[in-house]
Order: sequence, then structure tokens, then C-alpha cells
Amino acid sequence: MIRVRFHGRGGQGMKTASRIVGTAALLDGFIAQDSPVYGAERRGAPMVASVRIAEAPIFERGVIPAPDLVVVADDTLLDDPAVQPLAGLPPTGGLLMATAHSEEEARRHTGHPGALVARDFLTLALEQVGSAAGVSAALASAACAMLGLSGPAVVAAIGTELEAIGLSPDSIRANLRLAESARAGIQRVELPVRSLAAPRAGSPVVDVAYAPPEVGTPSVTARPNTPLRRTGNWRVFRPVIDPAKCTQCWVCFVRCPEGAIELDAEENPHLDYEVCKGCLICVEECPTGAIAKVREMREWAPSEVTR
Amino acid sequence: MKQMLTGNTAAAWGARLADVDYIPAFPITPQTEIIETLAQWAAAGEIPARFVTLDSEHSMLTAGGAAAAAGARVFTATSSQGLLYGFELLYTVAGWRVPFVLVNVSRGLASPITLEPDHNDVLAARDSGCLQIHAETCQEVFDSILMAYRIAEDPRVLLPVIVNLDGFSLSFTREPVELPAVAAASIYLGEYAPGHAWIRGERPMAQGVAVLGGAVYSYFRYQMQLAAENALTVHEEAAAAFETMFGRRYGLVDGYRLDDAELVLVMSNSFATKGRAAVDLARSEGVRLGLLRLRLLRPFPREAIRRALAGRRAVAVIDQNLSIGLGGITVGEVAHALYAERDRPPLLSYVGGLGGKEISDQEFRRIVSDLMLAAATGETPPPRLLFTAAEARQMQTLLSIAGKEGAG
Amino acid sequence: MSRELAAYRNLKDISREEFILPGTSVCGGCGGMEALRLAAKVLGDRVVYVNAAGCFTLLAVFPYTPFRGSWLYTTMGSAPAGAQGVRDALDVLIARGKVRPEDDVQVVVVAGDGATYDMALSSTSGAIWRNLDFWYFCYDNESYGNTGAQASSATPYGARTPTTLGAERRKDLFEIWRAHRPAYLATVSPRYPVDLSRKFEKAKRFKGPKLFLAAAPCPTGWEFDPAKTLDYGRLQVETGLFPLKEAVGDGPVVHTYAPAKRRPVEEYLRGQGRFRHLFEPVKQAALIARIQEDVDRYWARVEA
Ligand SMILES: Cc1ncc(C[n+]2csc(CCOP(=O)(O)OP(=O)(O)O)c2C)c(N)n1
Ligand code: SF4
Ligand code: SF4
Ligand code: SF4
Ligand SMILES: [Mg+2]
Repeated sequence: MIRVRFHGRGGQGMKTASRIVGTAALLDGFIAQDSPVYGAERRGAPMVASVRIAEAPIFERGVIPAPDLVVVADDTLLDDPAVQPLAGLPPTGGLLMATAHSEEEARRHTGHPGALVARDFLTLALEQVGSAAGVSAALASAACAMLGLSGPAVVAAIGTELEAIGLSPDSIRANLRLAESARAGIQRVELPVRSLAAPRAGSPVVDVAYAPPEVGTPSVTARPNTPLRRTGNWRVFRPVIDPAKCTQCWVCFVRCPEGAIELDAEENPHLDYEVCKGCLICVEECPTGAIAKVREMREWAPSEVTR
Repeated sequence: MKQMLTGNTAAAWGARLADVDYIPAFPITPQTEIIETLAQWAAAGEIPARFVTLDSEHSMLTAGGAAAAAGARVFTATSSQGLLYGFELLYTVAGWRVPFVLVNVSRGLASPITLEPDHNDVLAARDSGCLQIHAETCQEVFDSILMAYRIAEDPRVLLPVIVNLDGFSLSFTREPVELPAVAAASIYLGEYAPGHAWIRGERPMAQGVAVLGGAVYSYFRYQMQLAAENALTVHEEAAAAFETMFGRRYGLVDGYRLDDAELVLVMSNSFATKGRAAVDLARSEGVRLGLLRLRLLRPFPREAIRRALAGRRAVAVIDQNLSIGLGGITVGEVAHALYAERDRPPLLSYVGGLGGKEISDQEFRRIVSDLMLAAATGETPPPRLLFTAAEARQMQTLLSIAGKEGAG
Repeated sequence: MSRELAAYRNLKDISREEFILPGTSVCGGCGGMEALRLAAKVLGDRVVYVNAAGCFTLLAVFPYTPFRGSWLYTTMGSAPAGAQGVRDALDVLIARGKVRPEDDVQVVVVAGDGATYDMALSSTSGAIWRNLDFWYFCYDNESYGNTGAQASSATPYGARTPTTLGAERRKDLFEIWRAHRPAYLATVSPRYPVDLSRKFEKAKRFKGPKLFLAAAPCPTGWEFDPAKTLDYGRLQVETGLFPLKEAVGDGPVVHTYAPAKRRPVEEYLRGQGRFRHLFEPVKQAALIARIQEDVDRYWARVEA
């Protein structure tokens, strides 16, 4: 069995990408299983999808703990401790990611010794289909190439899955062209085929004891603590305030649904990037245009390695 | 030809190929894809059924039962809180003896409110008079819905059938599913032409009448019991006909590597798939483990279970449910099936997978080692919750974030 | 003008304190969240929010809470009854000297339109009829948002949802509520924070049901760019589709803001995915005209 795990944000199309791979595998005569998992979160929050491909019935369910291939829709997820896209990926496994960094930088940053494909699929998508949503078909196509699924199966799978989410025939054709260029030059990767998930040294079963009710009942007595959840990792774009243009009018502070903007003693607004979800209402509402929209892109310091 | 379908879409296809007349609905996670798919088909004229969103599940099940009482073939779907909200109706419409199919997408019950699956919702309905089929795969979801109509509408039965599938691990998971041709499905099911319940100007009848007096009440309630017992035979006939037409066969219970098994896991629904992997793993290490999957929960196939488990060296039931104050629900029912058996194995009880909690290799290993010990000593360890040290540590962290004094 | 109303004349009168902290799991750009946040600034921390199942149920997911006040999730159909229980309990415990009066809190139902217009309508009706001293904050995102924006009976005419084509007109909840003669009722919009704050402030002087219907532009369910949430919030009001008004007891309905010149509804409808079929592939002029007529008729009555 081959196990592929996708990481993206809600709305980035990784569910569709995983379904393209699942359908392509079925069309190539395999048994497949694909399943997305969202947390309680909404649009923008990190999500995972799993695809299993096998020749015999699949006796596994749920998120894949030890994938053979990891697909990352957005390199800002790499260093997110709440996401850990590389968790469980063996050195012999494959890694596919959309990033504006070069492949060498990606290799150095991830420290992944195995097969690696790192390309700017986002720019490719924007160029060829005019929308970031194209990343979905591009990554799916590249993943299929790494898995060695056949060209015709991939084309048919993209057609089926994009039609299922309501894309027009024109846009499907554009996505197919994009898929073609996205897989150009990508070689099939020999992945070690494991039938049973390697039994992991799991954690032993323990007794659960009665806890005093202050502990054993589902309530929260801590003072408001949601900022610990650091929803800043939802952002694809970040709002950046230019103090020179700001007139201290309070608009951004009042209109931010999150309450992620604070005013200092001089009424200057300050944004809390730990929690700002990047909805960009403040950018839209600022009457003087003092807030810019900047693509989130992490600089990778040479010394910084994901794992 | 097979296609990749989620459990939810497979359920919608079940309703479609059963050619239902009426679909009363109310949304709830993780069921929504079923009703959205049907709503879209109805709006596009792809199915002739009438789709209507009600104002609650209580209304939804009332409308569904009433439509069935008027002679329509009815499909509906819900989950957890919704099933409970409509609970009064489960008993009511089953008592009307009107057949329809209700898909329940299992999800743990509040409180605390959650989204992922366990079976407290559907098992709460086990005494209602609705029959229950629990599915393991997306294919089985579809197949069971077709079979469910055939069973429900049989004059020997005439009770609603709940087809259960797990939220997330089936509802949102795609697997290859083979759908039959429309014509074949319609031959398999035939028309619903009730001889006992209708609402027609020409032929008035009073349905849902009250009774006073225990004898009258007992008589009618016991008719339901007998109808449910009939469903064992009717299920076997429906399964045989299904196999003839579509090539897949479903038993009252399902077994995996059971023939020569000394030790047996008993599970149900989609987590039984993980049980199969555990069986393979144990077998690869030389342990003769097998899996018995409960499929028909009502009527309870006591005899089939007795036959499957008698003479084994030890049996462990994993209940993905918790009857607070009792423990696992199905283990008691399995014990009931085995009690009269002279050669009955030690019966171990585990509660696991609550709220969709993973059951890890290590937890299965623990069960297998308990089983081996029980087989050797004949002694049964006390019931146990499947919960790992890592999860306990994680829980401590969460408790301290929540400000729970005394945690840690 | 009373003292407390004078407190809200412009944006800078809005409290700088936050009572609901960031980091929750609601969508970025949630209009209902903005309305609740603004309301909370007036209500303060001596509150318990009694919640019905909906998007906002996920505001407090273990081990986190964003609230400086208290919270109790009930069910989808019975939050007003939950409010009744909390209010009655505090009243009786205070009367019997078991709870200090300083420990009293305001009881605030937080429920979506689906709960409010549909499943919890009888529970709400009962609570208002019993003259329960409570607040009701209904954030109206015009759908069952939490389950994927299926139609509720608040879904506007013409909006396509995953379960409907948009043939029904939404219930007039304000009038349903008003028929019960509650102590105070109002509509509010997150795009009009001063109006919103004044109404919550004003309601403080009434004992009995204080009912708020809050517009809640929903980027996820209505399908628009989250940056535009408050643009749609503004258009909702400026087209006259969502009138800002209030009523005290069985007194008259007072419109607290009437757009000087109403924008055509088309400006509001355009750009929302749920209305896309009104413009593509061919423009549904008759349908749009019908929506416009509804608004015009409403305002003709108001202005008469
Ligand atoms: C009895 C019951 N039925 C169904 C649900 C599923 N459910 C949870 S939230 C929700 C939508 C509620 O809609 P609304 O009140 O408008 O709040 P929103 O989700 O839009 O915030 C539904 C249908 C439930 N929790 N309980
Ligand atoms: S809205 Fe713009 S001008 Fe006003 S305070 Fe914010 S940044 Fe400054
Ligand atoms: S983008 Fe602006 S409005 Fe949105 S959460 Fe961040 S700070 Fe608030
Ligand atoms: S779905 Fe709409 S109402 Fe619900 S949290 Fe998201 S934006 Fe807010
Ligand atoms: Mg709503």
C-alpha cells in the first residue's frame, strides 16, 4: 500500500487534489481510499487529507500517521508546530511542495534526504488558470507523476473531480493544461511498498481514574485563553500598517471582527500577528489606505531546519 | 463500473436507486452531504422525489412517518443530536408499522458536544421498533439501503429501518463503490404497495389510534416484536436475492478469518476495518485471531452470534459506545446470545473509539494479550476503557490549559 | 438625549476593552462575530452567554474559552429555556441569600437564525411570554451556517443554498417577536457600530426580554471575499434590505437609520455566490425586480 498525506488550508483545494489522486488510482486499477479531515476550524485553517492506494482491500482508516508521500500546498505550513507536515515521513519517502523557494533551499530547509519536488506551483497556477485554486490540479498532477499513475488516468480524474465541484468545461481545460506543465519532468519515485502499516511503538493502555469534578467535567475555568491557539497560521496574506499614512481614526480597530488590533496610548493601531486570521477587512476599510496586503512568505534562515 | 463515493454520497445513491417518493430533511454534521445531494438531484429533476427541509428532526420524522402512512416510499437521514431530537417519533412511527429508511450518520452525543463518531446515538434507538443495519464500507452503505427497503416493506415486517454509517470515517471517506443499473434496482425492490396503511378519500381509515388497557397495548407492541423477529428470515431472503442480482452477499453477521480462529474480536461499523488489520497483524505473529462484525443490530441475530462464537477460546467485544453506569452496550447482548451455550468462552469487554478516538495497534495488542491470558486461565479481566498513556499525558496538558486546578 | 445614549456619538466612543478575545475557530471575516464582539463591549463581563448549536458553539472548544464572562452551551432548540433556568436560579438564590447580589449576571441567549426562526421559536415565544428578564442576540447569517449554509426560514428570497433554489421569502422575525410585546427589541448591523452600541446601552434600562436581531454577513456561506464582509454589511442596510429599527414594549417601530437614498438591491446581490444565478448565465431581471419591489413596498409603508 502507498499512503499519501496532503497538507493545506481550508479553501486551498487539497481535498480536491487528494480526490484527483484517489480517482486516478482507481482508474489505474487500484483500490483507493481518500478522506479529508478538517478540525472545528473554518476557511483558512490548516487541514489534512489522506489517500491510500493498494492492490488489496484497505484495512486502514483516518489520517495517515506514516506517509510515503507528503504533499504540502503552502510552505508556510512547514514550520507550524500545530501542523508538522513532515511528521512520520521516512527518509525514503517523497515530498512534494508548492513554494517560491528553490528546490535546493527546500531540501536544506526541510532536511529531507529522499525524493523532493519543490516548485512554485502557485505562480504557475496564477499564470495558467488565473487563480490560486489551480494549485489543486497542479499538485495533484505532480503527485500522480511521482506515484507513477498513468497520464490518461490523471486527465480523466482531473476532469471528473473538477466537474464535481462545478468548474466550467473551459476552466477544466485550462486546469488540464496546467496539470500537464505541472508534471513536466517529474520522475516516478520508487516508494517502498508496505502492506501492513509498520506497527509503531505505540503508547500502552492505561487506567483512567475518577478525577475530582473540578477536573473531570468539561468546563474551562482559565481566563480567556483562545489567543494561545495562534490563529495567525490561517493567514495567506498579512495586513501591514504604514504608520506614516495612519490618521488614528480607529476604523481598523473597531471593524476587526477578531479584536486583533489594539490601540496604544497615542491611538496608534497595532496588529497582533499571532492571532490575526488575515481576513483583510482592515485593509478594505482603512479610509487612508494605510494598511497594505502582503503575501505571507517566510524567509528561511540558512541555519533553520524544519526537523 | 466502480466509482469513488463517500459514504454520504453512497447513501444518497441508495435513496435515488430505491426510487423514493419523499425526502423530508434537516441538516446536521456529518449528514449534510446526503441531503444536499438529494436536494440538488430533486431540483434538477433527476429524481422524481419531493424534497423538503423541515424545521427540526422532530418535524422531519413526523413528516416522514406520515408520508409513509399515506403510502409513499420515504427516505430521510440524520445524526446524533438530530436523532435524539426526533426520538419521540422513532417510537411513534415504528408503532404505526410504516416502513421507511432512516440513515443515521453516527456521531458522539453531547455533552460535551462533539462531531466524530461513536454509536451511542444509534444504539439509543435500539428499543424503538426501528430495525438497524450497521455498515462498514461505503459499498455496504449503498447495498444496505436497498436491502433495507426490501426488508422494511415486507408484509412480514413493516417496520422502519435505520441504516447506520460512521461520521467522518465513512461519511466523508471515499471508497470504490459499484452502483447497479436503475432497472436492476427497481426489479430488486418492486413497488411499495401497502395493504395495511393508506390515506385515501375512497377508503377512509383511522391510523395512530390510542389504546386504553394493557392487554390491547401488549398485543400491538408484541406484534412489533414478532415482526422484528420475522426480519431475520426476511433479511436472509433479501440477502440471497441481492447476491443473485448484484453478486455481493451480506450475512446477519460478518466474519473475517474466523474459521480457525481461537480468539475473536467483536466490533461493528467502520472501525471494524481497523479490526481486520489487527487480525492480520496478530496472524502474522502466529496468533489465531478472527473478527466478528455485528451488522444487523435489530433484530438481534442471537443465533448467528451464538454459532459464530461458541467453542472459541476467548472473545473480546469492543463497544464504540458507553451506557453510563453499565459499560459497553453490545457486550451484554452478545453475552445474552452466549449464555445458554455450555461451551461459552470468556467474554472480555472494552469500550473504545468514543467520539472517534483512534484505536491504535498498541490498544489492539493489549486486547490480544488479554485474550491469550483469558484463554489460558479461563478468567475474565474487568471491563476496560481503551485509553493510552500518551492520551492521558495529552489530557493533562489540556486540563492545565483549561485552568483545571489539581490537574497534572 | 439620555446620558448613556450620549455616550455613543462616534466610533471613538466604542470601548477599547475586548470582552471576547481572538483566536477562536470562527471564520476570518465573520460578520456575526463582529456584531457579537461589539455587543459584548457594551454588555461587559457580568454576563452568561447561553448558546444554541450554531457556528458560535465553536467559540468555546475545550480547553479554550474566549470569554471574559460565562458561557453555557445548551442545544439547538432550547437556549431560551436555558436562559430561563439560569435567570430563575439566580433570582431565587439571591432572594434566599445564597448568592450575593453583586454576583448576579445578565443572561444573554446567543443563537443563529436557524435556531431562532425554526427550532427554538416555541422556546423563545415561551420565554418572552413569561416576560423573562434576558437578552437575545440572534446573529442572522440567513442560513444554517455551521452545517454548510443550507436554507433556514431566514434565507432571503432568491438566494440559492445547498438545499434550495431560493423560492421562499424569509420570515419577518422582528414582527414575530414584536407581536409578543417584549420590553425592547431592535435590529443591529456590525457595520453600524454606533447604532448597535446605543441600542445595547439603551436596552439596559429595561427589565424583561431585550431582543436583538443582528445582521451577520457571512463570507463562507454567502460566498464572497472575507475582506468585503462590512461592505456587504453596509449595502444590506443602504439598499434598505436590512432596516435598522427598534421598538419599546407595544410602542411604535422607530427606524434609527433610514438611508437617504437607497441603493439598488442589485449592488448588494451582485458578487455574492449565493445570488450568482441571478446574474449568470443570463440575468434574471424579473427576480431581481421582485426583490427590489419587496424593499420598496416595505419603505413605502415606513414612509407613509
Ligand atoms: C437537534 C439538532 N439538529 C441539528 C443540529 C445540527 N446543527 C448544528 S448547528 C446547525 C445550524 C444552526 O443554524 P443557525 O442557528 O442559523 O446558526 P449558524 O450555524 O448559522 O451559526 C445545525 C442544523 C443540532 N445541533 N441539533
Ligand atoms: S483604519 Fe487606517 S488610518 Fe484608521 S487607524 Fe487604522 S490604519 Fe490608521
Ligand atoms: S486581517 Fe485585519 S481585520 Fe482581519 S483579523 Fe487581521 S487585523 Fe483583524
Ligand atoms: S460560516 Fe459564516 S457565520 Fe459561521 S463562522 Fe463562518 S463567517 Fe461566521
Ligand atoms: Mg445561521
